[in-house]
Amino acid sequence: MNSMNAFIAILTYFAYTFIIVAYTVKIIKYLKLPVHLRWELYPVIHEEAYQYGGSCFEKSNWWDMARKRRNLKGILWLLRGYFTLDEYFKKNLFYWLGLYPWHIGFIFIITFHILCFMGALFMVSGISISHDSPDVIGRFFYYAILLTGVISFISGAIGGIIILINRVIDKNLKTYASPLQFFMYLFTLAVFLSGLYSWHYTDPDLQEYRQFWVGLITFNFIGVETATMVHIIFFDLFLIYLPFTRSLHYITRFFAFFLIRWEDTPNIRGGELEKKLLKQLDNKITWSGPHIMSGKPWKEQ
Amino acid sequence: MDIKDIGKDLDRLVKIDPKELIPLPHPYDDPSFEPPIRELSDEQKMRYEASLDGIVAIGIQRPKTRQEEETLIGRFLSGLEKLLSPENNWTFLQPLYHSLEYCVKCQLCNDSCPAYIASGKKEIYRPTYRPEILRRIINKYIKKRSGLVLKLTNSDIELNWQLIARLGELAYRCTLCRRCAQTCPLGVDNALISHEIRKIFSQEMGIAPKELHESGTMQQMKTGSSTGITPKAFANIIEFMEEELEEKTGKSIKIPVDREGAEILLIHNAGEFMSWPENTMAFAIIFDAAGIDWTLSSDLAGYDAVNYGVWYDDIQLARIARRHAEIAKALKVKKINVGECGHAHKAMIVIADRVLTGDLNIPRESALPILADIVLNERIKLDPSRNNFHVTLHDPCNMVRLMGIVEPQRKILKKICPQFREMEPHGVENYCCGGGSGFAIMQSMNFPDWRNAVSGRIKLKQILEVFSDIISPDIKKYVCAPCSNCKGQIRDIFNYYHVFERCNILYGGLVELIVNAMEDMKQPFIEWEWR
Repeated sequence: MNSMNAFIAILTYFAYTFIIVAYTVKIIKYLKLPVHLRWELYPVIHEEAYQYGGSCFEKSNWWDMARKRRNLKGILWLLRGYFTLDEYFKKNLFYWLGLYPWHIGFIFIITFHILCFMGALFMVSGISISHDSPDVIGRFFYYAILLTGVISFISGAIGGIIILINRVIDKNLKTYASPLQFFMYLFTLAVFLSGLYSWHYTDPDLQEYRQFWVGLITFNFIGVETATMVHIIFFDLFLIYLPFTRSLHYITRFFAFFLIRWEDTPNIRGGELEKKLLKQLDNKITWSGPHIMSGKPWKEQ
Repeated sequence: MDIKDIGKDLDRLVKIDPKELIPLPHPYDDPSFEPPIRELSDEQKMRYEASLDGIVAIGIQRPKTRQEEETLIGRFLSGLEKLLSPENNWTFLQPLYHSLEYCVKCQLCNDSCPAYIASGKKEIYRPTYRPEILRRIINKYIKKRSGLVLKLTNSDIELNWQLIARLGELAYRCTLCRRCAQTCPLGVDNALISHEIRKIFSQEMGIAPKELHESGTMQQMKTGSSTGITPKAFANIIEFMEEELEEKTGKSIKIPVDREGAEILLIHNAGEFMSWPENTMAFAIIFDAAGIDWTLSSDLAGYDAVNYGVWYDDIQLARIARRHAEIAKALKVKKINVGECGHAHKAMIVIADRVLTGDLNIPRESALPILADIVLNERIKLDPSRNNFHVTLHDPCNMVRLMGIVEPQRKILKKICPQFREMEPHGVENYCCGGGSGFAIMQSMNFPDWRNAVSGRIKLKQILEVFSDIISPDIKKYVCAPCSNCKGQIRDIFNYYHVFERCNILYGGLVELIVNAMEDMKQPFIEWEWR
């Protein structure tokens, strides 16, 4: 084990730990924000009349009616959006042509790494992962890792190039793109292209990845070809960089829909929501507009 | 123009050239008929900050000294800090945080904005423009980013009083229709940013359009109504209405006022009493005929459902919502019904739900479901042939996209208007009338020209398109707009473009059509004349 092997392994441990901790902190911060005033937007997915955007307010005495929240329907709707990006397809096809493969690249690269980790666990437990493995599971993981990896590299690289071109030639997009945004596109492109290069020229079976992951699990850090090493470093740095971008939108999109756009929980007397609201109405406000009693709580205004 | 230009010392960032606005259909397809947008007088230009687009909505006075400039900047920043604090802004912090942090600037929302499209895609009206400015200010002045990070995030923005004043004006170039938010796949709400900027100006800096604040919410709390109607004047109006009703319908109807224990407290937008009393009379006729147990209130603010706070100031919103609830509680009614007023629907029924606690949390609902029940279950006798003219429906944003009340009004119209037709798009995907978020009542300087020609343009286009095959003035046409502010805006657009004269399109509410179809009406309730 040389120092370079150890460095890459430690960088990988750090990158994964960092992104998990950073994302968790950001998610907690988001979820701990106070309950807000209702600000839903129709159609609301769990409404019976969702198809045309109708709501319980179309009925008299709506508060007496039983309300069902169909969270599964909302989750499936959001998931469909992740895998199709259909809103972009409908409204800006050219943008979608870059965005879609780019996102598919991300989805597959995450899947690829999860599969690498699981495959490594099987390898440690004595199951061979190869195209001629005697175990079905070994053959399955061999092809699944290969496919997800290759699809990710190709799709992400193509998408990255198109989306970069898009941001440069589309005036609407370019005006609002910051240098950091271009840096991120180039960075992701480096991740996908380095993966593509390493697969094509040095590791067509992606065997090195599997071995690298076995090394991570067993703390027996192995050496990899330079091309693979470059890709791993790029990917690790990318993981560390992600929490500083808007990438968490993949998760916060769920919050935005469930906690804001579809959030229509009525305030019931004596209910849990009312208890929270009463606390918040006790907050002293410090707004200093001339019509505001600064220093007094909301409820005394 | 460059985004950073908002802080530059320029006479005007954008000039609205009527020729650049999106074209209107026949008979407005000749751009030379487009009325010019009035220029401000030299005195107005000297006095007010109008260098955004030459339009003045709020009328921010130019600071006279350097110290005044610094005070303006300081108060804006302190307001911005409060806007981002849970104590001061628990009301909207989570939606605001999401929209500030997770917009990926894909610009998918742009084409949903009627003002941006109608203007010929002027950069400053782009839904993402205001949030971008605010984000840059936050990065530099609140998060205190500096150096390379500032440059890499494009946040190297120089805050000056002119930028702040322009941003304040710009918050009043968005009708808060939230069509952009509906489009966003990530749940970002750029209209909310306009709302929140307005709050900084009102809640911290004491700056708001006079019609919304001084003669709006403040007057409502003091005298009883933003229209200036006092409880005493209200009593006179009711007396007048009863006489009018008898004269017009031959019916002697006693309008119930302050009747304790009634099932329903009906609250109208008081603008109806002033501008469209036939609407409030129609409600009285229908409720009387259907045997509804209802009352009006003559208490201070109890006869005016409006709550302008919903557009610019959370504290005013909460105060007025509580006032309405206190009145209902004192009258011991079972529920509050909101008449034909979109924003009052949203404010009272939905948004205020989380500031009304304990016994102030009185059931509140729209009047539309009750009207639908009366019409569809034939609780009154109707003859649809009396409405045998072409009718279309304008959907108030607050009722449809923001509340999901889509079908009751349609079911009514399909039942009583044999020639009903839908404009496109409609329902939750409707276009704002252009008078949303207070615009319809804002009459400052040349602002009405802007809202008629720009923010209301797509609505006019829709109306002309839906009637394109029968646009001749020989054929009667009616736009049903069940919302006072929408009606006010449609009235103003029609006046601006002489739509009644040129196309014979009348506008009005929903209840007027119902009463017009009532079998026992001796004469048509709707008088086909322009007012």
